Amino acid sequence: MAFKKKPMQRKKRFNTGIREQSQCRFCREKIDYVDYKDIPTLSKLLTNRGKIFSRKRSGNCASCQRKVKFAIKRARYMSLLPYSL
Amino acid sequence: MGTIGKRVYEALFLMDTAMAAADWDGTLKVIETVLSRGEAEILSIRKWDERKLAYDIDGKGRGTYILVYFRMDTQKVTVVERAIWLSEKIMRVMILRTDRMTQADMDRPTPIVLAETMPAGVDGVPAGIAPSAPSAPMAPMAPAAPSPN
Repeated sequence: MAFKKKPMQRKKRFNTGIREQSQCRFCREKIDYVDYKDIPTLSKLLTNRGKIFSRKRSGNCASCQRKVKFAIKRARYMSLLPYSL
Repeated sequence: MGTIGKRVYEALFLMDTAMAAADWDGTLKVIETVLSRGEAEILSIRKWDERKLAYDIDGKGRGTYILVYFRMDTQKVTVVERAIWLSEKIMRVMILRTDRMTQADMDRPTPIVLAETMPAGVDGVPAGIAPSAPSAPMAPMAPAAPSPN
């Protein structure tokens, strides 16, 4: 039985008009220093169990994710944020 | 290896709320005494916030945070840190260099100031944090001038 190759089907792509963000939230606002006392900002980067969101989830670049990590750890030490819930 | 000399530092002290409420001047005196061990020049000292702690420290659920900026010899930091560890009145402290901070970072209003300036919105949330009300409909625009063509 001869193998018959199927013609390649192209998926129809819809242009939704939504552009992906090319920069992370801190780079966009040109924030150089992530303050550990800025609890409203840091809380957005934590799960409801107090764990740090991954880069994929938060959308941060590697450099900013590192700054966020240190800021959260400092805030945890000062009892501004919980270690776990 | 040469010494760097003096640097500006930021320190956030966590103190017992009961002690701070009873004797505020005495609480500041404790901090000033500790910093004087390192011959620090205090640039500013203010209350940052008084809030519920994320977890209990020394059996206490609330704490008062005091933010201090001071200039000190880099060699004296360890002396001050040791004095802080020995003090029973200071619950926690975080001392950081201000090299990477901008003036705007240092002058940022404290949560206690923000709470005072912003009127309380729905459910006690300050108006600046609560979602804003829908804006009023825009006034109709004047008809455009006829083009010269």
